[in-house]
Amino acid sequence: MTIDSGRRPAAGEPVGDVGVTRPGPTRRPTSRPAWLGQHLGTAVVGAVAGYAVGHWLGNQIASAYPNTAGASGLNDTAVVLGLAFGVVGWLAGIGALNYPLAKLVGREPVTPEPQQGWMRYFKYSTDHKVVGMQYLVTVLVFFFTAGLLAMAIRTELLTPANHFFGPDIYIAVVGEHGTMMMMMASSAVVGPLGNYLVPLMIGSRRTAFPRVEAASYWFFAAGYLVILTALPLGGFPTGWTGYAPLQTQSAGGMDSYLVGFGVIGIGMILAGFNLAVTIIHFRAPGMTWNRVPVFVWSMLATAALLTLATPTLVAAGLFGVLDRTAQTAFYVTEHGGSQFLWQNLFWFFGHPEVYIMALPGFGIVAEMLPVFTRKPLFGYRVAAAGMLGVALLSFFVWQHHLFQSGINPDMRPLFMLTTELISIPTGFIFLVGLGTLYKARIRMEVPMLFALGMYFNFLIGGVTGVFLSDVPVNVTVHGSFFVMAHFHYTIMGGLIFALFGGIYYWTPKMTGRMLDQKWGKIHFWTMFVFFNLTFFPLFIVGLLGQPRRVFEYAANLQVWNDISSTGAFLLGASFLIFVGNVVWTMVINPRTAPANPWASNGLEWQTPTPVPYFNFERIPVVLNDPYHYGDPEPAPVADLGAGLAMAVAGATADPSTGLDPR
Amino acid sequence: MSAINPAPGIPGLIESPEEAEYELRAAEGSVWTGTRLAIGIVAFAFAGLAFAYFYLRSANNDQSWRPHGVTAPTDIGTSIVALTIAAGALALLGNVRLRRGLRADWQVAGWTVVATGLLVVALQIWELTRLRFFPGSSGYASCFIGWAAMNIALVLGATYWIETLLARGLRLRRALVEEGATPAALSAERLFRANAEGCTLFWGFTAAVAAFFWLLFYIF
Repeated sequence: MTIDSGRRPAAGEPVGDVGVTRPGPTRRPTSRPAWLGQHLGTAVVGAVAGYAVGHWLGNQIASAYPNTAGASGLNDTAVVLGLAFGVVGWLAGIGALNYPLAKLVGREPVTPEPQQGWMRYFKYSTDHKVVGMQYLVTVLVFFFTAGLLAMAIRTELLTPANHFFGPDIYIAVVGEHGTMMMMMASSAVVGPLGNYLVPLMIGSRRTAFPRVEAASYWFFAAGYLVILTALPLGGFPTGWTGYAPLQTQSAGGMDSYLVGFGVIGIGMILAGFNLAVTIIHFRAPGMTWNRVPVFVWSMLATAALLTLATPTLVAAGLFGVLDRTAQTAFYVTEHGGSQFLWQNLFWFFGHPEVYIMALPGFGIVAEMLPVFTRKPLFGYRVAAAGMLGVALLSFFVWQHHLFQSGINPDMRPLFMLTTELISIPTGFIFLVGLGTLYKARIRMEVPMLFALGMYFNFLIGGVTGVFLSDVPVNVTVHGSFFVMAHFHYTIMGGLIFALFGGIYYWTPKMTGRMLDQKWGKIHFWTMFVFFNLTFFPLFIVGLLGQPRRVFEYAANLQVWNDISSTGAFLLGASFLIFVGNVVWTMVINPRTAPANPWASNGLEWQTPTPVPYFNFERIPVVLNDPYHYGDPEPAPVADLGAGLAMAVAGATADPSTGLDPR
Repeated sequence: MSAINPAPGIPGLIESPEEAEYELRAAEGSVWTGTRLAIGIVAFAFAGLAFAYFYLRSANNDQSWRPHGVTAPTDIGTSIVALTIAAGALALLGNVRLRRGLRADWQVAGWTVVATGLLVVALQIWELTRLRFFPGSSGYASCFIGWAAMNIALVLGATYWIETLLARGLRLRRALVEEGATPAALSAERLFRANAEGCTLFWGFTAAVAAFFWLLFYIF
């Protein structure tokens, strides 16, 4: 695990009197077709072969042991080893292991020639922009797959007692939906927008650890495939929280859940690790902490949570795997373990996870608000402090998930207090948005609509969250649809609305194409109305006593459930508008986007489109923060022309440039 | 073929010396911060194990935390922790010698650390075959199995890091002799030194983890 920055050393070959030229790659030019190398196809072959080898090995190791077959009759050791070897085969097939193995004999990294064309998106690429696009497509595939499962849930709940599924299939669908959505949401912004935009926003030519970044994506994609295997293996009856003792007792799909979360968790750790280091060390000269875009602040806070909270989940998952394979008893009370141990470890990750999902959404909308209000961001420092405050406090609230179980009742007030405390920095971030909107002449473009929709939805999700932090309310509505509605308002109403706003906002930069604005507005209004139609009734049925994860309910709740289900189907249809918009404007009738369609001051918009491989021809010198909207004569945000050499020469004359951000 | 990759990148990108130096400093800083962050990541994973240990010990469900006071084989466990601490100390000593320019000393110390790391992994696996309890017989037994699995991964990772550094160091040295002190070689050398510092710190952390859990599993 050598920490290799992936830096390309200077060649020392002088060219003219300017500097050094990076010569071409040492790899010989080849006319070999792109499809003959390592790509998604070889990754799939590697995964299948790996699964077969692992499964065979598991049967060799454990078939003779008693109690190796779980509730499904499957040999859990074989399933787990199959999935683990499958992931290794996947990584080997895509080429992620080439360099780690070459390092064993001391080889230096060989960077392939920058590739053009669509095949590069199916390969192991260390270009942060390619990785960002890979993430974006995979996140949408994740989202739409889990969304189809949501449709299945709402179909079942159309009637109180007539069934489309049996209870076992229903709970498997619920668990698969929740787990996939959580996995997707944890990387929904960090993956696509964080990887693509952060280097551009901080004036860097690359990320700190490009191979780590690429590996994070291929772990993420592998996690999608692993969790999909849960359904053919019988699903898991625990929902996305995976509570013991059901975890220990359930069918082979639980192995997919544990391995899948572990694989996704490793991807999350790698992504956060790379982003945090990049933001700390690869800011351009002059990009002081006071000038860092607020979206980058949100990425830094999220990266801190990803790197420090997720390892606990991976450890907890390992213990679960050991319980199911090596017959340990971490979560088996009658053998000295405790099912509450899982709850503690899971929620120590799980509650920061909530903010891993929320903070990037806030970062996106805070970045967009000044652009569409033509006002400076209100309370920039408060926003940054609020994000860091939320990140810090999120480590001290996990026990509120155990108010009903596994906690000394005397401890409840403490965790009620810490949970309520976290609403303060969250409120800071919210107020920053409202302050920016105050007396603004708002441009109601599509990204701005999504930003406003996010604020509306998150307000409902946040206020109900404050209710839920109070022990009496929590005890009353625990395990009901009220809780379910609350977190859908925060995650889907918050993060997903912000994500779609971000997609509409940054697509012109990322693809050079402009999504159609008229269809974008139709998408927003249908998504906004039907989202609320789907989830607001669930607060009501929750208060009336309908429990989560149960496929039958009282007959008097049918009207509200039918309203919700109808809303869900129409909400699903609203995404077809988005897909149609993408296909039309990207494939059928592509239109070149203006260079800076929103007239943003952001550094990412100062680069050419498509963004060159190294982003900036010269490393820029940042002169100002990007929020000076409304100034009659705004100072330039960055010097992109003369670059670092000129700035170094002039640094003594103008110390305000703050050349060393460290 | 040269041992040092002479700057793969974009043909035609002209990089000023200031830019090259700026990126090199950023890369060195990234190794510094990355090492600390990697230690944080591993620390939180092991904190999960420590939490499990104390949680199950204090709960003592069904009086099954540690029936009959069984422990894992103390002689093997003590050998493991002693070897891990020795490897950490040797990595530190080697790095001190490297700072003084005594590269051969660092190589000797480093390869010894690699051998010790592999021995630790072998001993940890062997210990698993010598347990006097079933993995699911108690909370203690479960935590011990979890510890063994995580420790194997940790020591293997640390060993991989120093082995790759040693291999790179050999190639780098050969390149410096054959090609002289080119800018590429000097840049690679600086990054190599930063990595060596980070690797030493990581081995020190590995030794501290081993000592902490040795106290938990064999003493208290």
